[in-house]
Parts: sequence; C-alpha cells; structure tokens
Amino acid sequence: MQPATTEDADLVRETLEGNQLSFQLLVERYQDRMFSVVRHYARSAVEIEDIVQETFLKAFRRLDSFQHQSSFSTWLYRIAVNTALDFLKRHGRNPVTAVEDPELMQESGRYGPGVAAPDKGLEREEIARITNEVLEGLPEIFRTVLVLREFEEMSYQDMADLLGISIGTVESRLFRARAKFRDALIRLHPEYGAHEEA
Amino acid sequence: MMECQNALNLVPSYQDGELSEVQAAPLRQHLLDCFACRERAKAEVSLKRWFVPEPAVAAPTGFAAHVARRAFAGDEGLREVTLRPRALPASDQLLPFVLKLTALAAAVLMVLALALRSRSLPESDSLEATSLSETMEYMQALNEAELETGLDLNERDEE
Repeated sequence: MQPATTEDADLVRETLEGNQLSFQLLVERYQDRMFSVVRHYARSAVEIEDIVQETFLKAFRRLDSFQHQSSFSTWLYRIAVNTALDFLKRHGRNPVTAVEDPELMQESGRYGPGVAAPDKGLEREEIARITNEVLEGLPEIFRTVLVLREFEEMSYQDMADLLGISIGTVESRLFRARAKFRDALIRLHPEYGAHEEA
Repeated sequence: MMECQNALNLVPSYQDGELSEVQAAPLRQHLLDCFACRERAKAEVSLKRWFVPEPAVAAPTGFAAHVARRAFAGDEGLREVTLRPRALPASDQLLPFVLKLTALAAAVLMVLALALRSRSLPESDSLEATSLSETMEYMQALNEAELETGLDLNERDEE
C-alpha cells in the first residue's frame, strides 16, 4: 500500500473545506475495498452496507485528525475493522477478543496438524463458505490478521500500521492465527486433516 | 546450515513475500536440502488455498452520493441514529403540521360549542311549569275577553 497519494490528500483537503463532491469521490474510490473487508465480519448484505456506511461517516467526522503519515486507505481500513468489531460486540457475536487471554497466548504447538487443500471438485463458493465458517469461530484478533493478509493481501508493515502493533507481533499473531485456523478447520471438517504428510 | 526450527519459523513470512533476499536465500537452500521442512512448507501452501478470492461485493448504485449527503447533513451513523431521531424530509414534515392544525381547530370548535351551550341553558336550576288548570283558566279568560270585544264591535256596526 502506498503512502497517501496526492489525489487522496487533495480530496481530503477539499472535503475539509466543505466540498461534498470531493468526499463522494473518496468514498467511490475506496467503497469496494471496504465492502470486501467488511464482508468477513457480517452475515448479510444489509449488515455489510450498514458497517461500510458507518465507516465512511466516522472517517468524515474524524477527517481533520488524519495526519497523512500513513496512507488514507490504511487509515480507512483501521476505521472499518474497528467499526466491524464494534458491530460484532453490539450484536453479541464477538468470540474471545482479549489479547491477554492465556488460552490465546499459548503457543499453538508450532505448526500443529497439517491440512489438506480443498478438493479440486469443490466449488469456490463452497470453499468460501467453509473458510468463512471457520473464520467466524476464531477470536477476532486472529480473524482480522487472516482477513487482512489472505484476502486483502496486506503487507506486514501495513497490518502493523493498521493494528498499531509491531511487525514482530504481526508475524507471531499470523502464525498463531494460521494454527488456530488449521485446528478449527479439522475440528469442523475432519476429512481435510487426513492428509498429513510431514 | 540453517536449523529446521528456524527454517520453519521463516516459512510463513517467506510465502507471504515478506523476507529480504538475505533472509530468503538460506531458507531456500534449507528447503532444497530438507525433505521434512519442504513437506511442511507444502502444507502451508495447502492452507493458503482455503483463502480463495471471493466475487467482489459491489456497492449499491449511488452509495457514495448517499453517504456523502448523509455526512454533510450531519448524520452521525448507526449508533447515533438510535439515540437521536433523524430529521424528517420536507415531504414528511407536512403531515405533523396538518395534524397539529386539525387538533387546534378541533379545540377552538369545542370551546365555541361549550360557550353556545352555556348561553342556551335555563338561568334557574328549577324546572317549573304552569299547571294545566291554570292554563285552561287563562285560555277561558282570553276567550271571554275576545267575545266581549266582538259584541262591542257588532253593536257599533249596527249603530
């Protein structure tokens, strides 16, 4: 992810000067990415739209605090993820979140059990359904790093900026998140844990 | 020679493209030399295949314009909406006005009706009526007076 482009900075400045069209252009530029990331936290199109709308409204209200030190998109992703997590809390759908939870902090036995790749005959939609089912059961700190890395293809540095943690923490959190994902996948779908090769 | 545990710790970052060439070169060599670590790395690739890109979720038509309008109208989003009633659009403001006007007109009519009713009520609380016998006597006296008057007129005509 690049630092804030000149155009983003211009649109932000014009928005702060009261230009509604500039803000509309900012929304248009980032709306698809926001819909993409938020869908991993919501269960319906209506929920996704509500969360994305609230993300942009929060961004608008806090626009004067955007320092241009990180990219506008990283800043916006941070608001989107936090808004999505708030939404889950409000709806009582938040699995364990505390980073300090000792169970979460345990080393996950290094790699843990291996998993097989999805069957070749499996439709993409079915793979996505199983993956989302597994993700939904993960503590949010693990779900978030997996979503940002695997779906949004963010670099470790961007994830660190977004989450306000060090790159080392991103690495270790991602490592544990993958181990948790493997465990949960095998627990829910044992057939995909049968091909341990190592 | 890199140790297996160190190599395995680096595999995820390697597959994420996060290692510098200085870090990646010895790992690559280790994976070429170590069957167990190579198989472990393959298992990581299997894991990644579960994260297939999903079809894009398209924002609804006019989404950006709608959000920009809400933002500039001072709408504070979902949480605040539940606390603060949203401003009604101009078309929806007509109905409450008409209802208030109707209520005011009804109140004025009621006051008028009460005022008129109070003026038409008897001044005394007692409900007394003239008895039938008195009425009959009064009527008879009237008749007699009329007859006498009629006789006087006849006499005058004859004269």
